[in-house]
Amino acid sequence: MNDFTSWNRRQFLQAGTFSLSPIALATLLQRDGLLASPIKPGETPRPDSLEQRAPHHPARATAMISLFMQGGPSQIDMFDPKPALNKLDGEAFPGTIKYDNAAQASSKVLGCPWKFQAHGECGTELSELIPYTSQIADDICVVRSMHTGVNNHGQSIHAMNSGRTQRGRPALGSWLTYGLGNEADNLPAFMALPDPGGIPVEGVLNWSNGWLPSLFQGTVIRPKEPRIFNLEPPATRQGTVQDNYLAYVRELNEQHRQQYPSNTDLQARISNYELAAQMQTAAAEALDLSKETEATQKMYGIGEKETDEYGRRCLIARRLVERGVRFVQVYTRNQFWDHHGSIRSSLPRACKMTDQPSAALVTDLKQRGLLDSTVVHWGGEMGRLPVIQNDAGPAKVGRDHNTYGFSMWVAGGGFRRGGTYGATDEFGHHAVEDIVNHFDYHATLLHLFGLDPEHLTFERNGRLESLLDGQPGKVVSGLLQA
Amino acid sequence: MQHYILAFATLLVSGLPNVFAADVTWEHDVRPLLKQHCFHCHGELGEIEGGLDLRLHKLLVKGGDSGSAIVPGDSGASLLLQRMTAGEMPPDEDKLLSPAEIETIQKWIDAGAVILEEEPDEIGDGPFFTSAERNYWAFQPIERPDVPQASPEQRCRTPIDELILASNEGHPGFAPDADRAKLLRRASLDLTGLPPSTEMLDRVLADTSPDWWDKVIEELLASPHYGERWARHWLDVAGYADSEGYTDDDRIRPHAWRYRDYVIRSFENDKPFDQFIQEQLAGDELANWTGGDLTEQQIEQLTATGFLRMAPDGTASGGINPTEARNQVVADTLQIVGSSLLGMTMHCAQCHDHRYDPIPQADYYALRAVFEPAMNWKSWRSPPQRQISLYTAADREAASEIEAQAKAVEKERSEKAQEFITLTLEEELLLIPEDERDATRTAYRTAKKERTAEQVALLKKHPTVASISVGSLYLYDRRRADRARKIDAERKQKEVRFVEETRTAALAKVPEEKRSAVETALKIAPEKRTAEQNELLAAFPATQVTLESLAQFNPEAAEELKRDESLAAELRANQTAERLKEYQQKAAEIRKKKPNEGFLRALQEPAGKVPQTFVFYRGDPEQPKDVVPPRDLTILGERSEIPDNVDNLPTSGRRLAFARQLTDGTHPLLARVIANRIWLHHFGRGIVNTPGDFGRLGDRPTHPELLDWLAAEFQSSGWSVKDLHRVIMKSTAYRQSSVASAAAVTVDADNVMYSRFPVQRMESETIRDTILAVTGKLNAKRFGDPIPVMEDSVGQIVLGKENLDGERKPVDQVDLNGEEFRRSIYIQVRRTRTFSMFEAFDAPAMTPNCEIRSTSTVAPQSLFFMNSATIVEFSNFFADRLLREAPEGIPQQIEHAWRLAYAASPSDTEQAKAVAFVTAQQELMTKQQPDWDQARVTQEALSVFCQALLSSNRFLYIE
Repeated sequence: MNDFTSWNRRQFLQAGTFSLSPIALATLLQRDGLLASPIKPGETPRPDSLEQRAPHHPARATAMISLFMQGGPSQIDMFDPKPALNKLDGEAFPGTIKYDNAAQASSKVLGCPWKFQAHGECGTELSELIPYTSQIADDICVVRSMHTGVNNHGQSIHAMNSGRTQRGRPALGSWLTYGLGNEADNLPAFMALPDPGGIPVEGVLNWSNGWLPSLFQGTVIRPKEPRIFNLEPPATRQGTVQDNYLAYVRELNEQHRQQYPSNTDLQARISNYELAAQMQTAAAEALDLSKETEATQKMYGIGEKETDEYGRRCLIARRLVERGVRFVQVYTRNQFWDHHGSIRSSLPRACKMTDQPSAALVTDLKQRGLLDSTVVHWGGEMGRLPVIQNDAGPAKVGRDHNTYGFSMWVAGGGFRRGGTYGATDEFGHHAVEDIVNHFDYHATLLHLFGLDPEHLTFERNGRLESLLDGQPGKVVSGLLQA
Repeated sequence: MQHYILAFATLLVSGLPNVFAADVTWEHDVRPLLKQHCFHCHGELGEIEGGLDLRLHKLLVKGGDSGSAIVPGDSGASLLLQRMTAGEMPPDEDKLLSPAEIETIQKWIDAGAVILEEEPDEIGDGPFFTSAERNYWAFQPIERPDVPQASPEQRCRTPIDELILASNEGHPGFAPDADRAKLLRRASLDLTGLPPSTEMLDRVLADTSPDWWDKVIEELLASPHYGERWARHWLDVAGYADSEGYTDDDRIRPHAWRYRDYVIRSFENDKPFDQFIQEQLAGDELANWTGGDLTEQQIEQLTATGFLRMAPDGTASGGINPTEARNQVVADTLQIVGSSLLGMTMHCAQCHDHRYDPIPQADYYALRAVFEPAMNWKSWRSPPQRQISLYTAADREAASEIEAQAKAVEKERSEKAQEFITLTLEEELLLIPEDERDATRTAYRTAKKERTAEQVALLKKHPTVASISVGSLYLYDRRRADRARKIDAERKQKEVRFVEETRTAALAKVPEEKRSAVETALKIAPEKRTAEQNELLAAFPATQVTLESLAQFNPEAAEELKRDESLAAELRANQTAERLKEYQQKAAEIRKKKPNEGFLRALQEPAGKVPQTFVFYRGDPEQPKDVVPPRDLTILGERSEIPDNVDNLPTSGRRLAFARQLTDGTHPLLARVIANRIWLHHFGRGIVNTPGDFGRLGDRPTHPELLDWLAAEFQSSGWSVKDLHRVIMKSTAYRQSSVASAAAVTVDADNVMYSRFPVQRMESETIRDTILAVTGKLNAKRFGDPIPVMEDSVGQIVLGKENLDGERKPVDQVDLNGEEFRRSIYIQVRRTRTFSMFEAFDAPAMTPNCEIRSTSTVAPQSLFFMNSATIVEFSNFFADRLLREAPEGIPQQIEHAWRLAYAASPSDTEQAKAVAFVTAQQELMTKQQPDWDQARVTQEALSVFCQALLSSNRFLYIE
């Protein structure tokens, strides 16, 4: 474990904006003592505990925020400039295309209507649609060769979020919390922030623990107030009244558990009362954005119509990670980026909503010294095709699905700073150079968290299951910070 | 747990040369991998890519266009392995074999590509099953195993105990019997989903007879709450819901509850399970109803088919692709049938042969052929179109008589409406220029289509005339009211004016010389006037005119005021719409007298219409291929045949034939699947712990002989579920304590050997029902319409009737009149709106059904107990009950609470600690809440104590 990165967070925990009770602090320190015994290769983590555990090898990342752009942002209009397309704009596509929606398919090339320009010292070319992201070009690595290979939202979402195209497997956040436990005592380890406009395609499966124990399930933060139910005790049962109640419940439960010392469920429930008690203030505190300075709020676009809501969720994500939450995923609404039609108007709108807050998140983490240990991911389950879908006039045209070559960006937690990785063909259809499959991405992520993809396993039905599930994922060294 | 699986695997292959058992073989290791990854293009559905068929060992050796696929003994020279290792095969990288799987194949080739048995020369087009598949445990006939003898010290009470002890070498022995109170609480929650009453607790503890336990079981089985508890288990597998799901509008199923009640009654009456299944699969064919009054039995049988109507069904929703939506209903129904009755993941063979189990794709469609005559996707009836009315001929006659009365009232109403239209028309005509009135009237009265251009223009000019209709009468009523108001206002002004004018005129008539004296006298208050002044004024009475006396001095003016007044009154009286509404209400009142018309959500096969069932290429209904006959799983051999058509029935008879075959006592799957479920609900874990999947991807039985014994016992007892409960609950395995011995902890950490009774968390419904019972609020009303759920102002799904205003904002709360305290099984199940409390405690997602529930332990559950309004409310009820039933004092209240919540008296230490807790809370609250009187303090302190009991694991868990 990288002591430096963890120190930042600990420092925060001790000296931050809320005080830790002496008992909790003692627990924290005691728990750190337990970190002396990392899981050895071949050993599986304890399935019944969120106790923090050391990784297999020194980690560069300890937390992650994934900004999941559900629907498939158009890589060729945002991240992956293809001059060849603009030359052929309106002409027949000189190759073969795999369409998803055959009924509206056309083979006419659609050039990019927006201008690209090099940004930062690294000179990454980005489109004018994302001016704020352009300002953090030197902090992010744009992956231009993503590939899942299954052209449907659901399956490709599962590939990106749970390792395989099938349903029913544990989400990435579940694997990470299973492998590493929770750093925070007072907040769940894995939190999901869906959009008020509706949950993404595949709904709750996006934060499902699959067949991992439910301790590793993502806890949803509701998109509107109250963001978590039952956080507030009734007026007459607050303070000492509740403390006494909790102490008494604990006594009853401990006495009960003595008969069943090997029952981990009973133990988990005792721990959950402690977590819940802490959450009352900690979650309320973590979710209270009024504590942020005006400058910070402004940076995230809070107060501006287009960016306010998403900006709040990005800021909540930062506050959670800052408080030791392991994995946070923020979702855009159902099919927000699925621009089959009217891309000329809807893509700029989507960018407008996400560009500023997403970039602010990276900048903010960086200025707080948290970016080094926090992975930020921005991307969806697919990109879009270089040809027109719905050829019904310039205002109506869109682009169909493309999972054969799409872009996303990653920052922090040991990912390379600045520049691009991989390439698609000259039309941006297929990833052709340094292809990054979902399983390569996952192998790389686990590596940054100090976890060995082969050895982070869970026994189920007599089988050792893993995130990669036998897929030939490799750690992409080109994505790593030297 | 692993070594039991191994032990059982060894048992499976016994009979084969032992030397092979541990080695890699074609049958057990390699073919299943190829089936999973390669058959799709190399053998299945006539696809033989590259001329290579991988379904037989000899075909691998023979090879395809590129030559032999394997060279036994030399993996390096084997093309199959080369292509796999290079990641070239299978071509879809998502389907690539894992390194471990490739290693298995390599080992197998290097060891000589061992095959255990003879293969046929050719594989043909039909299904081909290897002996490993044919010999798979779940497809073997159920055989009642010999029950081994046990020694008395092993405390075996039923064969269950002997079979458990015998199946695990080194079994540490059962735990001692649980104490009586614990056992009673366990049995009560298990059989009825409710805790024992204190009365029953005392009675059972005092019972000195040797058969006290048998009596407990019988009493609980006879409880009306037994059916409510065990029906819930079945409703999970049936996918019960009070809404259609599929799309976001998630329409309500208003009549689904009759099926729920059918299931409750069936369990309550211990309906033989074979009959229960036959009714659910083919109740319409059993009822053979062709019209006329339904008998009680027919109603019951038709209601039972609600089972086949439980799948999500979006076919009545807008914005769907009808073919897809219908196909999905059929597919989901088959999934429910497959997982609930066959214990097979049939749905995995919808698009291609099952990757793991011997279920060819054709089998899936053959099973579909059993149901398709009743669920014909080409001639579909949506949910509202297929309801069956429960009216008898007498009901119908009574209803039509009442309808005639209502119609008569409606006829009056429409005559009245015409009158009003005429009235309004004439009124409106008065408001337009006189010379246009007749023409406008004629235009209005002329049918729309026959109007001339001039008439149209005229009406356009006078929209207030043109718009008169029954529907717009209320607007003219308002116009009249406005006019009346205006007339009134004007009249008020007139009144003042007329009086003034009359007086002025009267003064003018007073002789000049007396006028100023009159005016002076008028300005003085009457009681202060002098006698002279009075005399003077009496001579000119008109100068003192008032509104009341106006008629006397100015009759015309008074007349005009009167006319105005009555005109306004008349206008007000002509509230035509209101009058018409009264007629409507009267008609509605009359209609209310009709006999209540209930409907069944049932499945009824149309007579004489048997569609062909096709195999859908890749599961796509737009690509039908071969026709398939109805059939159970081919792997089951001859017994799988089902007749195309049964002569003595108007319907195809396929489902009835299938149901009878399933329940004929020789089907290898059904009785095992059901017995396993019953076991699962008693012990919290199935003998096969994937109760919906007995296939290769599912778990193996931990106790195969026990499972067979239970299945055999179940069938031979006449499919009595209650008998199965008896035999299970009388076992030592059930009666033992939950406390693990030291030996048990070492040898049997996971309790796979049942070396103690498993500690289980209550299911969400049981938690709620137990809280209701303990706090004394339970409303035992049974059956009928569900208790509605709604979204509250913060987005929680709570009990209540949705009462939204035009902008979908919730308005007043509707009183549920105690319905909110009914048992959980009666709460509306909406697929898109799970009751929040249930959701927090792992209520099943009905997609389409739930084979097994999960049990999560997350912090929001703790928050629920700590802070939710629900728990605070019920803690208060609990405290009130204690104060009411044990008024003596805190110690007695604690004792009572303990007995209610835990079915046990507190120990001295527990009692002392509880008293200390309550006392401390009292002191604290006295300090914190100076306004509270002593009673309030005590109530609140007790309530927090009650909350703690409800929050405790001892309450939440069954031990």
